[in-house]
Amino acid sequence: MLRLAGIRIISSLLVVLGSLILVFAIFYLLPGDPVLSMIDPTYATAEMIQNLRVQLGLDQPFYIQFWHYLSGILRGDFGVSMLNSEPVLPKILAHFPATLMLTLTSTLIAAVIGVILGVLSAVHRNGWIDVLARIIGLFGISMPTFWSGILLILIFSIQLGWFPAMGSDGWQTLVLPSIALGIVGAGFIIRMVRTSMLEVIHEPFITTLRAKGISERVIMYRHALRNALIPVVTVVGMQLGEMLAGTVVIETVFSRQGIGRILADAIMGRDIPVVQGVVFFTAIVYVLINLIVDLSYAYIDPRIRRST
Amino acid sequence: MRHSVPKRVPYYTRSSLWISLLAIVLILSGCGSSAGTGTESVQAANGGTGGTLTYALATTPDTLDPQRSGWAVSVRVFGNIYDNLVVQDQDGKIKPWLAKSWTTSTDGLSYTFKLRKDVTFHDGTPFNAEAVKFNLDRIINPATKAANALALIQPYQSSNVIDEYTIKVNLSRPSEAFLANLSQSMLGIISPTAAKKYGEQFGQHPVGTGPFEFVSWEDNASIKLKRNDHYAWGPETVDNTKAPQLDGITFSIIPEEATRVGSVQSKQVLAAETVPPQNILGLQNSPDQQLLQTDTPGLPYTLFINQRNAPWNELKARQALQSAIDVGAIVKTLYLGTYKQAWSALTPSILGYDASLENKIQPNVERANQLLDELGWTRGADGIRVKDGKRLVLRYVDSSPNREKRNDIAAMVQQQLKAVGIEVQVNITKDIATVVFQNKAYDLYGNSQVNADPNALSSFYHTPAAGARETLTGYSDPQLDTWLEEGAVTKDSSKREQIYRQIQERISDQALIIPVYIFPYTVVASKSVHGLHFNYLGYPVFNDVTLTGTGG
Amino acid sequence: MKALFGIATVNRRDAANHALQAESQGWKKQKRQQWFSLLLAGLASALVALLIVFALVPQWIAPYSPTAMMTDRILQPPGTANWLGTDYFGRDILSLVIYGTRVSLLIGFSSVLAGVLAGGILGALAGYAGGWTDTIIMRMMDILMTIPGVLLALAIAAALGPGLPNIVLAIAAASIPGYARVMRGGIVGLRTRGYIESARALGASNWHVIRRHILPNAVSPVLVMATIGLGSSILTGAGLSFLGLGTVSEIPDWGALLSQGRGYLTVAWWICTFPGLAITSFVLAVNLIGDELRDRLDPRVGA
Repeated sequence: MLRLAGIRIISSLLVVLGSLILVFAIFYLLPGDPVLSMIDPTYATAEMIQNLRVQLGLDQPFYIQFWHYLSGILRGDFGVSMLNSEPVLPKILAHFPATLMLTLTSTLIAAVIGVILGVLSAVHRNGWIDVLARIIGLFGISMPTFWSGILLILIFSIQLGWFPAMGSDGWQTLVLPSIALGIVGAGFIIRMVRTSMLEVIHEPFITTLRAKGISERVIMYRHALRNALIPVVTVVGMQLGEMLAGTVVIETVFSRQGIGRILADAIMGRDIPVVQGVVFFTAIVYVLINLIVDLSYAYIDPRIRRST
Repeated sequence: MRHSVPKRVPYYTRSSLWISLLAIVLILSGCGSSAGTGTESVQAANGGTGGTLTYALATTPDTLDPQRSGWAVSVRVFGNIYDNLVVQDQDGKIKPWLAKSWTTSTDGLSYTFKLRKDVTFHDGTPFNAEAVKFNLDRIINPATKAANALALIQPYQSSNVIDEYTIKVNLSRPSEAFLANLSQSMLGIISPTAAKKYGEQFGQHPVGTGPFEFVSWEDNASIKLKRNDHYAWGPETVDNTKAPQLDGITFSIIPEEATRVGSVQSKQVLAAETVPPQNILGLQNSPDQQLLQTDTPGLPYTLFINQRNAPWNELKARQALQSAIDVGAIVKTLYLGTYKQAWSALTPSILGYDASLENKIQPNVERANQLLDELGWTRGADGIRVKDGKRLVLRYVDSSPNREKRNDIAAMVQQQLKAVGIEVQVNITKDIATVVFQNKAYDLYGNSQVNADPNALSSFYHTPAAGARETLTGYSDPQLDTWLEEGAVTKDSSKREQIYRQIQERISDQALIIPVYIFPYTVVASKSVHGLHFNYLGYPVFNDVTLTGTGG
Repeated sequence: MKALFGIATVNRRDAANHALQAESQGWKKQKRQQWFSLLLAGLASALVALLIVFALVPQWIAPYSPTAMMTDRILQPPGTANWLGTDYFGRDILSLVIYGTRVSLLIGFSSVLAGVLAGGILGALAGYAGGWTDTIIMRMMDILMTIPGVLLALAIAAALGPGLPNIVLAIAAASIPGYARVMRGGIVGLRTRGYIESARALGASNWHVIRRHILPNAVSPVLVMATIGLGSSILTGAGLSFLGLGTVSEIPDWGALLSQGRGYLTVAWWICTFPGLAITSFVLAVNLIGDELRDRLDPRVGA
C-alpha cells in the first residue's frame, strides 16, 4: 500500500509538471502583446512598452521564461497580476476556500439527487419512473449553467425573495449557486448510479440472494445499492473537477468570491499571470482529488493494491 | 501493458461499504476544514447611527492608487478616499478645496497654491506643501507607472515648496485645462507616508484625506470604507463639509446585469450603478426604488474613422459613412430613449460645445450612395461595391465584453452600411491594445473619455509629437493643431469657446468621426437613500447621503 | 514503468465505461417497455434531423432574414407577425433561431470531428502499438486531463480570442483525451481477448485486422461518446459566449443569442428563452440518441 501510494504520488507530480508546461505554453503562444494589456494604450508610448517588456523578461526565449516561471512556482511564487501587481498565489489561496465550499455543496446536491434518482431509475427500470428520472437528469446536463443560474435568481430571489441573488456571506448565498451547479453533476451521477445498479443486479450473488427467498426490496436497497455505490464514489471525485471548472460561470452569475470568478475577471482583463495561475492551481487540485480518490479506492479494493 | 483494472465490480462485505463511506467523509472533511474559513457570517452594522450604504458596482476597480488607475469604476471608489487641491462645481467653475486660494503667473507657466492648514491624512500624516510636491513628482516618475494621471498632469514640470503651506507648481507650457485636471480624482492627493510604506501595493492600501477611510478590499466581493471622523474640509460643492452621516460604504462588485439590478430589487444592496436601458424604463415607476441619472461630460462615445487606409483617407468616403450611418435609429433602438444622441466631438456640458452641429448631419442613404458612386465604387453582384477588383470593406473593431451595448452598435452599423454597399467586418476582441493601438487594423473604432475641459480634444485630434502615441484617426491637420494649441492657452473664455466651436465644426466637416451617444451614469437606489448626487464629471458623491428606515 | 507513470484515473474511467456497457445486458433481458426508450430516441432523431435541415437550408424555412432589423418592431412579444417575438434590434427570433442552427451545429460537429479524429488516431495508435508509444501518448493525455475540459477550452479560447475557428479548436482540444482513452480502451480490450492475435495467426494483414476487427469494435464506443459530445460542445460554446469568448458573426449562434439576450430576461423573456430551449432540446436529443446507440452498438450485445 505504501509503495503504491509512493508511485501514485510521484506519477501525479510528473503529470502536474506536464500540465504546468501545457498551461505555460498555451499563453506563450498567445497572439498579441501581453504588455499592452498592462498599460493603458491610450497613454503608452513605444518606449514605455519596450521598457516594460524587458523589465518583465518577456523578451527572453521560451525556455528561459519557462524556467523563471517554474522556479517561481517551486518557491510558491505564481507571479503577480498584470493589473495591480498583486501576487497571484496568495490571491488564489485566499479565494479557494469559497470555491471549494461551493464545489462541495454542489457535489453534495448532485450526489443526493443523483443517487436517489439513479436508484429509483434502476429499480423501476423501463418504467415511467425510470424515464422521468432520466429525463430530469438529462435536463440538468442540457441547460447552459449561466441560463439556469439567472433563472434561479429571477424566481427565487427577485420574485419569491427566498434566497439572496449574490454574495458569499452566509449559507443562504450558497443555496442557489449550489443548485445551479449541482443539477449538472446530478445528471451524470443519475446515469452512473443507474448503470452501476443494473450491473450489480445481474451479479450472481443477487440471483443467489433471490434464490434464498430474500425480499426484492431488501436485495435492492441493502445488497445491490451498497455495491453499486462504490464506482459512483469515483465519479463523484471526477465530477469535483468539472464542478471546479463550472464555478467560473456560476461565481460570475452570482457575484460570489472564488477562484472561478478570479479567472473570469482575469480573462476579461487579459491578466495572463492570473489566468495561468488559476488554471494551473485547478490542475493541482484536480490531480490531488484524483490521487485521494485513487488511494482510497485502492484501499477498498485489494486487487488494485496487489496488481501494482 | 496489461490493465490493473478490476474488470468486474466485486461483491463487497458489509464492512467495505463503511470503508467506502468513510472514504467519502474523509475526502469531504479533509477539504471541508479549510473551507470553513471562506465563509463569513453576515456582518451587522457597526453600531453607528448613519448606517452603511451598500452600493453595487458593475466591474471591479483595477487599483485604488489614483495615479496608476485607468478606470472610471475605480474613481467611483477612491473618489471618496482622496481630496483634490481644487474642485469643479456644477457649472464647471474651479473652486477651492485642499488649496484655499491660488495665483497664476502672467506667463501662465506657474501656479502658486495656498494650502489648508487643518488637514491630515487618515494615517495621521500632516497634509502640507511637501505632500503635494511628493504627489505631483510621483506621477511623472516613470517608476510609478502612472496611467491616466500622467496625461492629466501635463504639462507639469516641477514644483517648489515655498513654505509649509505654499507650493509653486511649474508648467512647461501654459494650460487652461490644468486646474480642471487637478480637480479630477485621478490627481487626488495620496499620503506620502503610506505611498512610501506600501510601494507597489499602495493600490491595495490606499490612504488619503477624504471623507471616507479605506477598510478592506476583498477581491471580487466588496470594498469597505468607513467614515473619516476627523473630516472637516469638504469643498463648497457639498452641503455637509464635515464628517459624513454614513458610517461607511460597502461597494459590492456585481458584473451580471440581472443580478446587479436584482440585488437592489431583492433589497440585498441599497444602490446599484449602470442600470441597463431596458431596466431603466421599468424602474422609473417603481414604488420602492428611485432612479438617479447624470450625463457624463467629456468626449461622447464616438466612432473614429481611421484614415491611414484607403478609401477612408478620402473625404467623400468618410462623408458617405456620415450619411449612411443612422445614429438616431441606433440610439433610439438600443437605448430606448434613455441615452442622448451625440452630435459633436464634445458633450453639451463642456465649455465651447457647438450646439449648431445638432441635427446638422441627417442620415441620407441616397447621398451616401452618390458619394461612393462618385469615387468610382460600383455595386458588385452581391450588392457590395467594388473598385479595381477590390471590395469595399470596412473593419469595425470593438472591445469585449459588450459594454453599454457597444457591440450591438457594431451590429447595427454593419446592417446600415450593407445597404449602401459597404461590407463591414466586425472584430470584437479583448485585445484592443494590439489590434487598434499597435497594429491599427481598424477602419472604425469607438471610444469615449470623461473629461471636464475641452482641451481633452488635443490627445485625440492634435498631430502627436514624435514618439508620442498616435491618434485614432491618424489625421494630421495643421489648422486643427493651431487651434488646439490656442485653445489650451487662451484665457478669455468667450474667445476660448469660439476656438473650440471652430475645432468641432472642422472635425465634423472633415468627417473624422461619427459621434454616437452621451453616456448617462445611472444608479438605481432604494427610496431610503437620500442626498446621493453626482459631481461635475458624473461621479457619485456620498458626503450628503443619509439613510432612512433601514438602520444600516 | 507503466506503474510509475500510470495514473489511476484510467482504472476508474474504464470501470465506469465497463459499467455503462454492462447496462445494455440488463436492457436485453428487459424487453418490456423497450419501445418507450425507442420512441424517445426516435423523437430525438427526428428533432436532430429537423435541425440539420434548418442548418442546411434555413432560407427555405425562416420567415424573415436573420439580419433584418425592423427597428419599428423591437421587443415585440410572440405574436402572429413574429411567432417567437422580436429582439432588441427588431430581428425575428424564430428566424434567428433557425439560422443560428447552422453556426451552432457547425461548432458542435466540427469540434467533435476534430476531437474524434485527433483523439481517435492517438488512442488507436497507443492501443495498437503498445509499449513506449502507448506510454508516451497516454501520459500526454493524462496531462491534458488534469485540466477539466471546460477550463482547458476556456484557457485556449482566452489565449486565441473570440471567433469560430478558435472556439472549435479550443473545444476540440479539450475533448481529445476523452476520445483517445475510449479508443485505446476498445483496442486494448480486443487485444486482450485475443481477436487480433488469432486473426494474425490466420495470416490476416494488419490492414485487414484493423478494418475487420478493430474499427467495428473500437469505434462504436467512440461514436457513442461523440454523439453526446455534440451536445457538450454546444454547451461549452455557450459558456464561452457568456464569458465574452464566443463566436462573433453577423448571424449569431444559439449560445451567442442566449448570452446576449440574458440581460432582457425580465423585460422580454422570449429573446433568450427560445435560443435556450433550442440548445437544451438539441443537447437532450443527442444524449438520448447516444444512450440508445450505446445499447445497440455494444459489441457484446451484438455478439
